[in-house]
Amino acid sequence: MISRAEPTPPENGTSSSPNANSPLAANVGIDGLIPVRMLNEYSYCPRLAYLEFVQGEWAENLETLEGTFGHRNVDKPDRKQIPARSKSNSKAAKSEETEEEGPTSIHARSLTLSSEQEGLIAKLDLLEIEGETITPVDYKRGKVPDLPEGAYEPERVQICAQGLILRDNGYHCTEGVIYYIASKRRVVIPFDDELIARTRELVRLFRETAISEICPPPLEDSPKCNRCSLVGICLPDETNLLIDQQQLTHERSQLPVKPDGLRKLLPARQNALPLYVQHQGAFVGKSGDRITIKLKGEELSSVRLLDISQVCVFGNVMFSAQAIQQLTNRGISICHLTYGGWFHSMTSGLLHKNIELRIRQYQTAAQANEALQISRQFIAGKIKNCRTLLRRHLSEKEHPVLRQLNEYHRRALRAESAETLLGLEGMAAKEYFAAFFTLLPDQPEFDVDGRNRRPPRDPVNAVLSFLYSLLTKELTVALQSTGFDPMLGFLHRPRYGRPSLALDLAEEFRPLIADSVALTVFNNQEVSPDSFLHKAGAVTMTDAGRKSVIAAYERRLDTEITHPIFGYKVSYRRILEVQSRLLARHLLGELAEYPSFLTR
Amino acid sequence: MRTVYLISYDITCPKRYRQIYKSMKGHGEPMQYSVFRCELSDMELQQLKDALWPVLNLDEDRVMIVDLGPIEGRGDDCIEFWGEPIVAVQPRTATII
Ligand code: SF4
Repeated sequence: MISRAEPTPPENGTSSSPNANSPLAANVGIDGLIPVRMLNEYSYCPRLAYLEFVQGEWAENLETLEGTFGHRNVDKPDRKQIPARSKSNSKAAKSEETEEEGPTSIHARSLTLSSEQEGLIAKLDLLEIEGETITPVDYKRGKVPDLPEGAYEPERVQICAQGLILRDNGYHCTEGVIYYIASKRRVVIPFDDELIARTRELVRLFRETAISEICPPPLEDSPKCNRCSLVGICLPDETNLLIDQQQLTHERSQLPVKPDGLRKLLPARQNALPLYVQHQGAFVGKSGDRITIKLKGEELSSVRLLDISQVCVFGNVMFSAQAIQQLTNRGISICHLTYGGWFHSMTSGLLHKNIELRIRQYQTAAQANEALQISRQFIAGKIKNCRTLLRRHLSEKEHPVLRQLNEYHRRALRAESAETLLGLEGMAAKEYFAAFFTLLPDQPEFDVDGRNRRPPRDPVNAVLSFLYSLLTKELTVALQSTGFDPMLGFLHRPRYGRPSLALDLAEEFRPLIADSVALTVFNNQEVSPDSFLHKAGAVTMTDAGRKSVIAAYERRLDTEITHPIFGYKVSYRRILEVQSRLLARHLLGELAEYPSFLTR
Repeated sequence: MRTVYLISYDITCPKRYRQIYKSMKGHGEPMQYSVFRCELSDMELQQLKDALWPVLNLDEDRVMIVDLGPIEGRGDDCIEFWGEPIVAVQPRTATII
């Protein structure tokens, strides 16, 4: 009868006609099939289905994990069976006289079927086969909802789509069953004309949406977002707020109004944090679900994989294949820096599936005007944040540099070309650093002669260069996990081995994160003259010195501040990620402007 | 945010015992034989269950999960410990070695 469909197609549908005119439309081209799981998502929220299907986004949350846990009975046939239809639901069986006649019922579990005609493909949890009739059964976590239809639309549509596929494969199929794991109850969903029409309509709408290459807007203040696993990627309330504000400012050309605080859908802090290894010759391995760091066979430390957000290594550190595999599988990047702190490469899993974003990124970079519009935001944001840092620390509140930076900020917003913009940036930086260096402790060992690098010639510049390198690394990770190509920037021109886009986005964060950490470590004496080595005019940090600087940098990223636009508390670490996502939203046309991050 | 759990288990078969011990090491720190202290978010607790479930034979084995509350709240205050713990609890910071 029914055999396992082989081979199992990939989750995101099958491959497609080679000559579809767009690489994205190809996903849902004439012969591309839509997984019925996506119909469920589309009915829940069109944006969710688009993000998952077209942009290849995926994130787990408690709901999706519990869903998988609930399926353990399905995937393991030897575990407890769900009650068979004849025992538990006599109402459903009322019209079927054959049912009581003997052991004719067969269960087939977990198989994949598709229908060209309906344009659908499904993984079916369970089929109950009785004579000529087949009934698909879908497992759902949770309880039976209190609804006249017996189940929410997304679930009904999903089971109906399974039924349509079965019918197209020649089976007799008139209803489906949803089994609610928490209530241990079966709900029968008859495939009436209305449901079938709705299902087919949703297939058509979803296909249109996917081909249109326009991401549906976020839901407005919907309780669905609270339970949505993609909320941290979608940023529904944040996006809606920015769209409104940008429309307002365009119409009335005045400053946006600050809201009283948005619903807080993002956690303020992440649980997982970076792991840094700077011991030369250390070995990073895996034992169970932990990462172990050993030196000459002796264990220096071991960390749960679930506590690691990224691994950063300096110089010669070795990795076992298992460690690399586990880390990359979990989406944890390994950042490689030279012993001196120069960020040069990154080991990570496959590239993000969001091709749409990368195509837009390349197109935008090729268009001088669009690239300039974004670059202005980076530089204007940077100058503004430089000014804020000085305003907070300078004792003289009327210091002329503050007025100067205001002026540069204004001019940067209007710069007519990338050259002008870079020129303004250079002039602003010169004045800013002159004032910045006066904020450092008055110690001859820490004297600076202006900003210098490659190699830095004094401790302050060594610390600054190192912090910029860490910040670039942070943003490279964030941009890549958003789906960008970190190597192609809008302001910084691509140069071999430089993640230009990360350097672009780093501009507005340099004063807020790197410069402010430099002030902290010198003024709080977290580094001392002993933390530095002088060699042939160049200055480097000792292991201990570098450790103090990394610790201060990580503390800064963990600092929670009130978001100036969204009004809720959030860590800098999260802000970096959110800015990267907002940049993506701008490139994909959702936001008219990229809003740089400014503090007050 | 994370919650502190105390998880203990009785496993009859040595092979399963080793497997469970290994899984538990990925989710928390051992405090005594077969007793772990785990800091887990809701999702991470679910992942722990996912990891243990296929190994356990519940006809013979037992697992106890005690919720001690959020880390910042009652968390550890309700544990009185005598003698040397096997491992000490680390504060939440980036690991730098
Ligand atoms: S967060 Fe809300 S708007 Fe965004 S995809 Fe999820 S349900 Fe849709």
